[in-house]
Amino acid sequence: MMQNKYYILFFFIACFGIVNAQPYTDFIGAGHTRNVTVTASSGLGQSTATKTINGSGLDGKFMDASRFVAQATLGADSTYIASVMNMGYENWINDQFTKPASYMLPQMNSISAELKAARLSLGQLEEDIRSPNWYDFNFAWWQINMTNQQSNKNNDLLRQRVAMALSEILVVSRNSSLGDWGEAMSKYYDILLEHSFGNYKDLLKDVSKSFSMGYYLSHLNNPKTNLAENIRPDENYAREIMQLFSIGLYRLNQDGSQVLDANGFPIPTYDNDDIKEMAKIFTGLYGGAVMPCPPDCPSWWPQATYFGLDPYFIVKTVPMNMDNNNHEPGPKTMPDGLTVINIPNNGMAEIDAAVNYLFNDSNTAPFISLRLIQRLVKSNPSPAYISRIAGKFADNGSGVRGDLKAVVKAILMDEEARSTEYLSDYSNGALRAPTLRYTQFCKANQLDSDLGRYWNVAIDFSRGTLHTPLNSPTVFNFYTPDYAPNGPIKDAKLVAPEFKILNSSSSVNYLNLVHWWINPWNNSQGESGTLMYNWEEYNGIPLDSTVYLVTSKFETFAGDNEKLIYELNKVLAHGQLTDATLNVLRGLASEIDTNSSDPVYRIRHKTRLLLYFLMIAPDYNILK
Amino acid sequence: MSTYNISRRKFIGQAGCAALGGTTLLSSLLNVKAMNAMARNNSSVLSCAGSKALVCLFNSGGLDSFNMLVPTTTSEYNAYAAARSNLALPVNTLRPINVTNTPGRTFGIHPSMVKIQSLFNQGKAAFVANVGSLVAPMTKDEYYNETVTAPIGLFSHSDQQMHWQTGFASKRDSVGWAGRISDLLTSCNTNLNVPLNISFGGSNLLQTGVNSVEYTINTWNPKGGIDSDEQYNWWYTTMKKNTLTNMLDATYTSIFEQTYKNTLKKSRAAIADVSAALTAAPQFNGVFSSNYLSDAFKITAQLIATQGTLGMSRQIFFIDYGGWDHHDELLANQTEMLGMLDSAIGEFQTALNSINKADDVVTFSLSEFSRTLTSNGNGTDHAWGANVMVIGNPVIGQKIYGDYPSLALNGPLEVGGGVLIPTTAAEEYFAEIALWFGVPSSNLLDLYPNLPNFYSVGATHPMGFLNF
Repeated sequence: MMQNKYYILFFFIACFGIVNAQPYTDFIGAGHTRNVTVTASSGLGQSTATKTINGSGLDGKFMDASRFVAQATLGADSTYIASVMNMGYENWINDQFTKPASYMLPQMNSISAELKAARLSLGQLEEDIRSPNWYDFNFAWWQINMTNQQSNKNNDLLRQRVAMALSEILVVSRNSSLGDWGEAMSKYYDILLEHSFGNYKDLLKDVSKSFSMGYYLSHLNNPKTNLAENIRPDENYAREIMQLFSIGLYRLNQDGSQVLDANGFPIPTYDNDDIKEMAKIFTGLYGGAVMPCPPDCPSWWPQATYFGLDPYFIVKTVPMNMDNNNHEPGPKTMPDGLTVINIPNNGMAEIDAAVNYLFNDSNTAPFISLRLIQRLVKSNPSPAYISRIAGKFADNGSGVRGDLKAVVKAILMDEEARSTEYLSDYSNGALRAPTLRYTQFCKANQLDSDLGRYWNVAIDFSRGTLHTPLNSPTVFNFYTPDYAPNGPIKDAKLVAPEFKILNSSSSVNYLNLVHWWINPWNNSQGESGTLMYNWEEYNGIPLDSTVYLVTSKFETFAGDNEKLIYELNKVLAHGQLTDATLNVLRGLASEIDTNSSDPVYRIRHKTRLLLYFLMIAPDYNILK
Repeated sequence: MSTYNISRRKFIGQAGCAALGGTTLLSSLLNVKAMNAMARNNSSVLSCAGSKALVCLFNSGGLDSFNMLVPTTTSEYNAYAAARSNLALPVNTLRPINVTNTPGRTFGIHPSMVKIQSLFNQGKAAFVANVGSLVAPMTKDEYYNETVTAPIGLFSHSDQQMHWQTGFASKRDSVGWAGRISDLLTSCNTNLNVPLNISFGGSNLLQTGVNSVEYTINTWNPKGGIDSDEQYNWWYTTMKKNTLTNMLDATYTSIFEQTYKNTLKKSRAAIADVSAALTAAPQFNGVFSSNYLSDAFKITAQLIATQGTLGMSRQIFFIDYGGWDHHDELLANQTEMLGMLDSAIGEFQTALNSINKADDVVTFSLSEFSRTLTSNGNGTDHAWGANVMVIGNPVIGQKIYGDYPSLALNGPLEVGGGVLIPTTAAEEYFAEIALWFGVPSSNLLDLYPNLPNFYSVGATHPMGFLNF
């Protein structure tokens, strides 16, 4: 009865707040009514509804920190969330800026070496052992991201999250021959990691000159015009660097809206002639180095790299070189019609100049800002929010343009990201990208891996949910920023990019994947459903790297259904579950208690089924 | 994206009806009756007669279709070879086809297209030449002088895919023409769970209607199924199923949460029907190869075979076969990919014959654009007009529809680098297909607002390649 009183008391306070549209200045946490409903009814010792309302309790702050961590990292457990809460968000961000990157390439090489040694020990011949491919990139990605929260690791959680966001803007994909070249994928991801807290201009230059992008968008070995043969420069990269990586299709205001002409039509940023000009810039690039000849060196193996060298022979971890003889000579006019680039015999300097031109175009600030906000915080930022971030992109406060530290901090600390005022807005939030659900689930729980290996090939996950890093179907990413699913979102003229990959098949596949993760039935070792696996063991490689889920932390609350549901809600859903979902979970928990006196059912099975239904609940899947 | 487009469409659609039906309601109604007796290509009554299926083979990425359909008359081949330089296919490798409507001109198709050659020569396949997105017919001068409106975002993948999928090249829109057909014809189907539009490529613009979306099937687990819904005679499994029902019956104030829930709830309802149909369907043992494309065609054939069980007399299948963006390694990639495409189409026709459905199914290809005639070294870039193919017993085959263009650089349609202005609008191609499928002609302008710039609805077929 006492619990109901708190509930009613707070209900009125919350309504009062909403009616008066008062922004909350304290950290009440996520979802005012929802939050306190749970707090009050939980009966937990560390807090009360009153404490939560006045901000002195821990849980409101914790839930808010849980939400912040979901925006700023790939997920974390309750201990880490509490540490972020205690540190303060801005302090935590500043601290994260000092963390060195955990790079993919060395991690992948180390895993590949282990696998190779194991294969050799089985008597396999060196020439039969496959070279690293996208499996190995995935192994490295999961190994780093499942361990970088550990105290002896880099803790580069924010950097990893930003790099993943950038990988969905500056897209290359394993759905090309890059999938055969693990070094290329890992090195590319490392460029993103390296510049996540750097400058967008440097990032765009390094990406443009990387082997991976050169191969993926075919400006590698792109020759100058040959009139006699009717051969002219490849336009692929010229088009996409403008359309997708910098200025976009239309002139933009700094708040992200389109500039309109006198007749109300948007104004294109470039036309096909501009693309032909830009294509001339990206000519003359070729492989940076030739691969060393293998042990049984054939006589025809190329001695040195040259323009036209087949990608097979190219070292894929070094930037491309410029062959000025194959670089288009003469002036190149930029889309503004005024800027002309003409640096004779220095193709690389022309590339730098063209990237500078695009980087400095006023469009690039709102264009990149919107995409980063959508990946980190919400699908429909207000024009004012975009404008604030674009302003930071244009000038970090010290006159520097493109400072990603300033941009990332501004995105996460913006009142539109932080204030709980927005939580009750029906149009707030974003569908969590599938990989973010997966990593959050893994990190919020404990993982059982005998040897600390998290070599996840994630093939069921990627084909099931259509989402894992560097696995976009095309350079247009898994989803475009303007995608709107049919129904109330489109009707409200809003967008929800991630819904592009939520269809009748992928939505159900996700359920089945979670259902398998939480599978509570033990095998003979007392282990249950697998969270991660690789294919190597099935190929007879004796390296135990299957990862199992451990739910004992949550299970400690299972004696009291309210406490258990509360804990799950707090850590995974930031206290944002609706009453409807909470009641569904309550009903499920009590039905298990009613039907079984078996302690295994009443603790482990119950915890895991609650986890399943929470992870598939609509209100969990939308990050608000 | 904007409602402006939708209202514009509505306006045009209504104007179209009014033009047909006169100015009063009475005269409209009278005309509707009168038109019942008229040919389908001038009708305002939707037809649910018979069972029909359309299969859209979407070659996303920009299929270089001037290496798919190649002129072999000496002078024309020489122009082709000159324009394409190191990417020209040797004339003696092309597969000859017997075209009956191009006197004095001969053609060959890509060496990989064995089964399509045979289907063409049997009169069960045709090509439509130099078709593409247009707002209105356009000459080279009009293109350069900008005196005729060009499609927006020409040469960009995303924009030109949008043109083909929305049937509207004037503005960005978020509704596709197959989606609009679904909105119109969904009442032909008695099944309320499984949408008229079925996709192997996930959510797509083509199949997004105002009131309908596609049902996506994946080829590796086509029956779908929710593991936590599997029931045994045990409280634990029943409880899981009921819990999901309770969750999906809730209402959410967040439109994001509501949209997520709706997707899941609709999928759950459709899965049961699709799964039952696929269980009952013929297995076509030994007919199909094993790859994504053949798998998709096989499942398509299975769902066509079980139209009766499913309660569906109209289906549109979307098979997204991507990877044609051959800026690089054009020749090798095309050989492999066209070979796979050719096998899948041949297998599909075999399967349809075996279930007696070949007369009721039309497969048509599209791609956002063809590629530049000129080479960029070992690949080609984004261009415009393209060649497409249409396959099935309803096709009046052995013909090339539209105008196969001169491939000479600096020819009358060439606007630089071997980019050709299309001479047939995508809408003309689609209108023919839509009418065959049962769309009333009075609705054509709602599907394709710019159609009147190319074809006036009336006694003649838009292009004449289908028999109806």
